[in-house]
Amino acid sequence: MLIGIDVGGTFTDGVLFSTGQILKTAKQPTQADNLQCSIFTVLDELLQGIEGSGVKQVVLSTTLVTNLLATGGGEQVALILIPGPGLNLHSLGFFPGAYFLKGATDFRGRIIEPLEQAQVEEVGRLIATAGRRKVAVVGKFSQRNNSQERQVERILKENYPHLEIIRGFEVSGQLNFLRRAVTTYYTAVTREKWAGFAAEIEEAIRERGITVPINILKADGGTMPLEVSLRYPCETVFSGPAASVMGAFALTMDRQTSVVVDIGGTTTDLALILEGEPLYASRGALIEGRYSHVRSFALRSMALGGDSTLRWDGEKITIGPDRLGPAACFGGPAATPTDAVNLLGGGKLGPLALSGSALGKVASQAGLTVKGFARRVVKLINSRLEEGIEEMFKSWEQEPAYKIWEIINKRQVGPERVVGIGAAAGAFVPALAAGLGCRALVHRYSPVANALGTAVARPTLALLLHADTEKQTYSLNLEGITGKFNPDWQLTEAKELAREKLQEIAARRGIAKYANRYEFFLEEQFNMIRGWDTAGRLFDVGVQIASGVIEEFKGVQP
Amino acid sequence: MKKKNINSGVHPPAQKPPVQTGLVFFPAFDWAISPTHPEREERLLYTRDQLFEEGIMDLPQIRQYQPRLAASKDIARVHFCVPTVGTQATEAHLIAAGGALVIADALMKREIKNGFALIRPPGHHALRVVHGNRGFCNINNEPVMVEYLRQKYGLRRVAVIDTDVHHGDGTQDIYWHDPDTLFISFHQDGRTLYPGSGFKGEIGGPLAAGTTLNIPLPPGTTDEGILFVLDNLVLPVLDEFQPELIVNSAGQDNHYSDPLANMSFSARGYALLNEKLAPDIAVLEGGYSIETALPYVNMGIIMAMAGIDYSHLYEPDYREQYLQEEQERLNILKKTVHELHGIFQQRHSLAAAARQKAGARVQRKRQIYYDTDQIRETQLETLKVCGDCPGYLLIDSEASGRKVSSRVCCINIPIQGCSNCQAEARAYYEKMRKDSRGHFDHLYLQDRTADVYRQYNYQTKEEAAIE
Repeated sequence: MLIGIDVGGTFTDGVLFSTGQILKTAKQPTQADNLQCSIFTVLDELLQGIEGSGVKQVVLSTTLVTNLLATGGGEQVALILIPGPGLNLHSLGFFPGAYFLKGATDFRGRIIEPLEQAQVEEVGRLIATAGRRKVAVVGKFSQRNNSQERQVERILKENYPHLEIIRGFEVSGQLNFLRRAVTTYYTAVTREKWAGFAAEIEEAIRERGITVPINILKADGGTMPLEVSLRYPCETVFSGPAASVMGAFALTMDRQTSVVVDIGGTTTDLALILEGEPLYASRGALIEGRYSHVRSFALRSMALGGDSTLRWDGEKITIGPDRLGPAACFGGPAATPTDAVNLLGGGKLGPLALSGSALGKVASQAGLTVKGFARRVVKLINSRLEEGIEEMFKSWEQEPAYKIWEIINKRQVGPERVVGIGAAAGAFVPALAAGLGCRALVHRYSPVANALGTAVARPTLALLLHADTEKQTYSLNLEGITGKFNPDWQLTEAKELAREKLQEIAARRGIAKYANRYEFFLEEQFNMIRGWDTAGRLFDVGVQIASGVIEEFKGVQP
Repeated sequence: MKKKNINSGVHPPAQKPPVQTGLVFFPAFDWAISPTHPEREERLLYTRDQLFEEGIMDLPQIRQYQPRLAASKDIARVHFCVPTVGTQATEAHLIAAGGALVIADALMKREIKNGFALIRPPGHHALRVVHGNRGFCNINNEPVMVEYLRQKYGLRRVAVIDTDVHHGDGTQDIYWHDPDTLFISFHQDGRTLYPGSGFKGEIGGPLAAGTTLNIPLPPGTTDEGILFVLDNLVLPVLDEFQPELIVNSAGQDNHYSDPLANMSFSARGYALLNEKLAPDIAVLEGGYSIETALPYVNMGIIMAMAGIDYSHLYEPDYREQYLQEEQERLNILKKTVHELHGIFQQRHSLAAAARQKAGARVQRKRQIYYDTDQIRETQLETLKVCGDCPGYLLIDSEASGRKVSSRVCCINIPIQGCSNCQAEARAYYEKMRKDSRGHFDHLYLQDRTADVYRQYNYQTKEEAAIE
């Protein structure tokens, strides 16, 4: 049996899944100030009459970190940057409170400017005076040479041993200093609160007789063991939308191109599955308006949902962005898109009269019949969603490419299917699909697909290796790992090393079982020519355990 | 500096002026002339690392675009490719040119306020007739873009400022007879550097005199010297010429660390140059100091075009004194600037006098050497002088090299071509098509007025329109 629990903004959903079927579902309103409580209630509902020992996997998707970041509820963190030559981050207003240090490292990992001990000491004094205990230290190109980040740590620790230092090179070794700074900073901000939350969750689950490892859903639709999440709490942002995408994936499990439409109360999230593979955001998750190194699905959130309030502004119909309550047909106070669909569908969702009278009020302001108004609302929603979908495909097609073959072999795909997720999917998705000229999939599990996707998601791990044969070193994007690289090694050996390291890290993280399912997604080699001779080679290799579902899951019955 | 609104009459005024800078970054990581050639896969690798690590593409000021393949027709608007467009323009060339076209479209659609096509392979040594690769170039990206803009959006007056350390002889050749294109190149003195041309006396064809300006810079010229030329010649001339579009043919080999040249320009100098020049579009040309210069210079150009503070940008070995210019060099530059400004101001009278003197036609005979492909070309160019338009062009070109041996006849009707010239040139093409003397292997018609490009193979007797 598998358990998946998705803590959403409004509701917490859970499923208990076994041999091709959902055995049980549970739904509870989410208590924003006590997520644990929502989780335990759902968990208890699912476990009623079930032996905890029969549970083989538990996966949680939670909004804790997202909430912490949105409300500023995390720790106070001092950010120290070693930017070197380039953008003037100070004048750009990037992290207004950041401390800037002298010192610089270049793209080959050469120190091109030393740190200044006195300046680091002075910054340490300012931080200590301000009462900060946590410090994020991030240098440009620190993944190619982390010595300056380490040096800053050493100097700070000498004078202020109580400071906790989070180093950028350990959080992410991918290129992009700004995103590394953002990710490191927010990691420092959320780590402690997340750890407290994780401990409580673990204890509660163990109390219920479940002994299997607990996994946390990440923004990339993969899972990570709870203890790994302690180091990388930011990976859990946007796991809600990721749960929906994995739900759509679990419902389809084929090589078709789908638009995933998750219709919530006030928003609709759009995502794409291109020829069976969920599409990732090219820039990483946007945290508080800043791009990060957190890998996430490409998502588009539209400010309209099943419970959005319908109004007439004197010229046109407006939808949302607010929600006054549930749809009128479910006893809510105002007309909503759900009422429009209910009216046109002849009352399949709820009492026709309730929808009719709520819609009637707005329709009369607009000078329309109730039916005419409802039709307009549905048309408006569809056209907005269609626009959003079109933009998603367009921006995917316009993703930059850096090689000739990428341009020549550019895929062109269009939607074949709209997969509806969420309770309201059945009401909206068929018409939307018809408008797009493709099929609609509204599965009986659509309302709980997010929890299903959470339950069956498998671990993911993406490793990037950068090796420099002239400097005889390599570095990974993960855990700040660096090492020696034999100058005679070729791409084959670089790939072999990357694979080995992936499997090592997977084993250490308790996901060794999936380590054989690796795939290479990047293979680049460059000869460094100095004069007329080859001075060395640079390799960039990417290998990953891609997102997908666990082996035990073979799909659902229609 | 005032500039004509490039969109006047083409598009209705948009509500908000565009604020972003467009960027096509196409490093062609799978293309090289040869493994150890300066134009190899590695060239923009460190630029990639620097741009990506910097995160500049994440800033709201920047909008990144994907390049596309230019069509053969886009190439044929500019070049006579021997024997065909396909043999001279590989996929890499079509994507590089296509990258410039993407930026051009984005600019005209007012999605961006300006744009930088950071592309390779480069193109400014590719002449009008192309038998092979010259100075690392086959296809000249800026003219391909400019002619596309003229065709699609009806632009007329365009300025191309070549800031590469090498003379932009290809672009000069293509616009030699065009009075509507102002071509200015400043470069290391041709007596000391490839391609050995670009002297002060090269001022354009007789009917377009003064719309080509060449500023040879003494070796060692620094930021101060180059900015002096910019302030005292380039900007005033642009102000007078009033182009609808300014293109920076942006080579980066004036940099003090470039291995193929001997100048002393810095990354910050490049940034300042682009801030002052304010090109609508910059297109990357040369620059081979791939570790020490390119990562910083490219950043500088992007930052300057996007209006981002570049005061924190510097090369690791940058020293303030690189900016200082020697008095002797400044004196030389002052003299050059003065002379050339005079020529520019007299351009109308110079052209009128030349027209008078020329009679019915003007010819120039040239030897052209393709250093990369080791081809020798002999070219006889005949301009039919016309009272109503810049006149049509006939080129008799014979090339021989290790792998190449052919003689071609090329006919160009300029975009401003009058109806008489159009008729005459087309008739000449038809006449030549029936020519049975066996002198030529191929015949080409580049009809810019009708946007029609034809080629005829004398051996197979096949004619084709280039699409």
